[in-house]
Amino acid sequence: MSLVFSFLKKYRTASLLALLMMVIELTVELAQPYLISKIIDDGIANSDLNVVWMWGGLLLVGTLFAFGAGIASSFFASYASQGFASDLRETLYDKVQSFSYSVFSKFATSSLITRMTGDITMLQDTIFMSLRFMTRVPLVVIGSVVMAMVVNIKLGVLLALTVPLLLVFVLWIMRRAGAMFKNVQRRLDKVNGVIQENLTGIRLIRVFVRMKHENGRFAASSGKLMKNTVAALRLTETTMPFIMLVMNASIIAVLWFGRADIASGSATVGEVVAVANYALRTIGALSAFSWIAVTFSRAGASAQRVKEVLDTENGEFAQTNVYGHQSGVSAAAFAESQDSGAEPVEGTVRFENVSFKYPTSDIKVLEEISFEIGAGKRVAIMGATGSGKSSLVQLIPHLYDWDKGEITIDGRSIDQWDTEHLRRSIGYVPQEVLLFTGSIRENIAWGREDATFEEIEEAAKIAQIHETVEKLPNGYDTQLGQRGVNLSGGQKQRLSIARALVRRPAILILDDSTSALDLATESRLLGALEDISCTTFLITQKISSTQAADLILLLDEGRLIAGGTHQELMRTSELYRHIYESQFEQGEALHA
Amino acid sequence: MPNGWTEAFRQPRPPVIADPSKASGEYKKKKRAKNVSGTLGRIWKYLAQRKLKLGLVLFMVLISSALSLLGPYMIGVAVDDYLSGGGAFWGLGWVWFLVVLGVVYLLGPITMFLQSIWMIEIAQETVYRMRVDLFSHLHKLPIPFFGKRQQGELMSRVTNDIENVSATLNSSAIQIFSSVLILFGTLGVMLSLSPLLTLLTFIVVPLMAVGMRWITRRTGPLFKERQSNLGDLNGYIEETLSGQRIIKAFSQEDRVKKEFGVRNERIRLSGFWAQTISGMIPKLMNSLNNLSFALVAGIGGILAINGQVTIGVIIVFVEYARQFTRPLNDLANQWNTLLSAIAGAERVFEIMDEEVENKDEGKAAKLDKIEGSVKFDSVSFGYDEGRNTLSDISFEAKPGETIALVGPTGAGKTTLIQLLSRFYDASGGKITIDGREIGSIQRENLRSHMAFVLQETFLFEGTIRENIRYGRLDATDEEIEEAAKLANAHSFIARLQDGYDKMLNNGGSGISQGQKQLLAIARAMLADPAILVLDEATSSIDTVTEIKIQQGLQRLMKGRTSFVIAHRLNTIRQADQILVLKDGGLLEHGSHDELLKQGGFYSGLYHGQGIEGEAGD
Repeated sequence: MSLVFSFLKKYRTASLLALLMMVIELTVELAQPYLISKIIDDGIANSDLNVVWMWGGLLLVGTLFAFGAGIASSFFASYASQGFASDLRETLYDKVQSFSYSVFSKFATSSLITRMTGDITMLQDTIFMSLRFMTRVPLVVIGSVVMAMVVNIKLGVLLALTVPLLLVFVLWIMRRAGAMFKNVQRRLDKVNGVIQENLTGIRLIRVFVRMKHENGRFAASSGKLMKNTVAALRLTETTMPFIMLVMNASIIAVLWFGRADIASGSATVGEVVAVANYALRTIGALSAFSWIAVTFSRAGASAQRVKEVLDTENGEFAQTNVYGHQSGVSAAAFAESQDSGAEPVEGTVRFENVSFKYPTSDIKVLEEISFEIGAGKRVAIMGATGSGKSSLVQLIPHLYDWDKGEITIDGRSIDQWDTEHLRRSIGYVPQEVLLFTGSIRENIAWGREDATFEEIEEAAKIAQIHETVEKLPNGYDTQLGQRGVNLSGGQKQRLSIARALVRRPAILILDDSTSALDLATESRLLGALEDISCTTFLITQKISSTQAADLILLLDEGRLIAGGTHQELMRTSELYRHIYESQFEQGEALHA
Repeated sequence: MPNGWTEAFRQPRPPVIADPSKASGEYKKKKRAKNVSGTLGRIWKYLAQRKLKLGLVLFMVLISSALSLLGPYMIGVAVDDYLSGGGAFWGLGWVWFLVVLGVVYLLGPITMFLQSIWMIEIAQETVYRMRVDLFSHLHKLPIPFFGKRQQGELMSRVTNDIENVSATLNSSAIQIFSSVLILFGTLGVMLSLSPLLTLLTFIVVPLMAVGMRWITRRTGPLFKERQSNLGDLNGYIEETLSGQRIIKAFSQEDRVKKEFGVRNERIRLSGFWAQTISGMIPKLMNSLNNLSFALVAGIGGILAINGQVTIGVIIVFVEYARQFTRPLNDLANQWNTLLSAIAGAERVFEIMDEEVENKDEGKAAKLDKIEGSVKFDSVSFGYDEGRNTLSDISFEAKPGETIALVGPTGAGKTTLIQLLSRFYDASGGKITIDGREIGSIQRENLRSHMAFVLQETFLFEGTIRENIRYGRLDATDEEIEEAAKLANAHSFIARLQDGYDKMLNNGGSGISQGQKQLLAIARAMLADPAILVLDEATSSIDTVTEIKIQQGLQRLMKGRTSFVIAHRLNTIRQADQILVLKDGGLLEHGSHDELLKQGGFYSGLYHGQGIEGEAGD
């Protein structure tokens, strides 16, 4: 709630105006039964046409007035809620962008997306509704009761007595129904889970002939869903009839006492009618109450989820250097800078007993890794899925903090480098291809905004994608859909390599980025890479691409089990030999 | 007083699904139903299974609607006959009158309660039956159906569309019915009391129509624009958050923030106008309601003074005037829900109308045991008429042999397997197992003698033990362990904290891909089939992992007729026969050495190292 108010502060005036307009509108409506009673008692009872004209005219003017106020409240409420949502979204997005990668990865990406879209829209809708409508509900209840008492105190009190009773009842139902609906939701998830499983595994189910088994499983969970749904709805369906029952009773009471009072002269016909009318308005408002409470509790949950992100520590390291924040400065420009942590990167990388685990898990991903590679050399990293290859290279651009040991670049610990400067000197090509919506040229230039077209072309040539791009009807201006859907896997991989190369990196990291390339293209690419001088980390499955490496690291379950050149590993590592044999025909390739 | 009153005030029930992404106010693209009457007829068939209860519900709706009309009328009578004058209604005394009113007031909520809970029971039962029918129908559909459809889209039909039907049946159906009844009932009573006042009350209806048209004509394009901006923004968020690692590694935070800001501002503007103008709808409705209230009160007052109507009539009209716009409103709202539910039901029925796998022929045999000799005799097959995916394939596999299928993507390898397992029936030629034509074996029986290890290892939500047991449901724990040992899975399972009782979630995260494949091997081992199919079983696994599961696979294949589809040639080398398929034809056939000697396509592939290049770009 405090979150909502702090962001709404900027739109205080609009919010207050929206509320004010709503109150005006409400006042007019609440005056209606009162005016009716005036028409009946002063006008019709006395056969005074002027009185009827006067009050009737007033009703009409009030209606027009209320309409104007209603339109205005819609305008102000919309202004405030849209502004609110926009500000909150922007703040949230900036916050997420300021997270260090390890903090970022504590949240599931999908959950962050939901928070930024669904949750904020939920809050915005709730604020919009609150300003125009929801706050009106309690006011209608209170206003009706008060007005009823103004009209006739004794009859009004009758009405006032029933309201707290109903309120307690509605709240009680809601609390119970909330728990029951949660149960329903769980059952529904279960049912949907079974469907999902069955659709994914349909071939397997078919070949194992398990259709009856699955049908039974599904019928059981669907049956439970049905039972729970019926139970929950049955409960909520008692709300309205109960409210009506109580209010009906109070109306009968009003009539009963009203007639007696009319007889004794302490009440008029108009007053009785007015009180009955107020009672009806109260029913209407109360019936909306449970809906509003549900909406508020959901909005509260949304606010909580948003707040959780906003309250998270950034966790970014080494943000001290001012040079780091000048965007658009190329790595070359840093050559002139003498500031500590921002000298040009040569590319000598050294790992010393490095151990690492992800912040969200207790399992050690890397254990006691040590190696050193000189500037401009090539390291090939091999190992099974989950052996820690990707984790190892992610430490180099300082996406994560490691736990033990030391990683140095050019003899200086990564901690001591300005993070942004360091990252500007690294070309990173992740395993999963991530291109952005935009043209091919933009996607490559994404690596360095001030890259000239010649530089872009050059990077594309090295990445072996230039010819393919030239052949496209729009060449470098070809638009890529979301995440580049209209290119093949291999083309996308090469494009993201070009994006890394355009930075003229001192260190290049290729995380299994050539897996979709055919052998010929891959070897051309690796050959072209030798001509540019940068330290290259190459994660690969293929022996063919490790052979030319200056150093091969063989990882198994986070440990470095072998390291050396191809010849050395062939001698010393049994696993490496196995891999080699599985990829090359024993006889032929060995003799070749 | 009147029941219809509160009925009218009823707010839409909050959606059961507490999913903020659905509450985001995103306007779903409404798909229109194509065949409304046909779909309604089929829903009716489901509903009709509870005819008696449904009749009761309709009866209750009738009564409660009548009572909701009677309520305000009696209040008017009370004012005219008992509060202002000394007359008596139908000769009843004041106390008796109140008793009658009390009964009306008591029956109203009761009938309302009954109609809704009975309807909920009917609705939920209906939805349950639809779900179960749909689900079991899915399992009767031929496998190619699932290849043609996107899984997400199917999923949405089975879940969202059915939920939609459920919610609509729960409340909208009754509400529409009672809205219509109340609307006409109100109109009738009003006309009988005072045609002039009725006319005044209904003056607002054209105004309402004009106003709504004015608003919706403007909101339509505005919502569209907002929707496209929202889609753009959400797309941007998704793209940049999924690509967060790249953004960080390339230090592009400032840039994406700026671009986000531009999109955010765009949506603020379009959202503002869309919301402002659409926000006028309830205000307009409210104001027109107030207007008719004022007209009835003012002009009714004048008429009353002239003695043309009584005070009671004014009061009845004031209530009715407030009441009648609600059913109109409800009708408009519910109508849309109803249409979208019908469209949803139609999508569900569409699936139920898909043709199921051919039934087994009446005299199809059920075999207890098969040896595993397989023979293809000039088999042809085409998915589409006139174009063969496979043509003239002949080969013979003896029991226990390993047959490797090699060829570029689209050569027909998977189709061949699908013919063998009778997911399709061959259009020409003959396939026999143990000399018996497979068309004469019961489909399920045939499949029960086969086991598959597929590229996508599929694990169900459940324990490891349950997942292995899926291979043979009546297997004992010992047998499961034995299978796991043979598959080389036992050692890793034993090292897990909960061992065989470790819960796997959907998709089996928490264990590695190689381990998943080992479980799939254990599962196939437990099934103990005569014929085994390894469809790219190792192609999504890296080479190092592959080395680790190789032994388990070898054991599984031993003594079984095995069909192996693989990309990596080293897996293929040891096969007894290699079938090289290209463009649906059997290009080469023989052992590894024979094919190398031939120096044809296979040998070319082999020396070029791998067929993977073909799948590249």
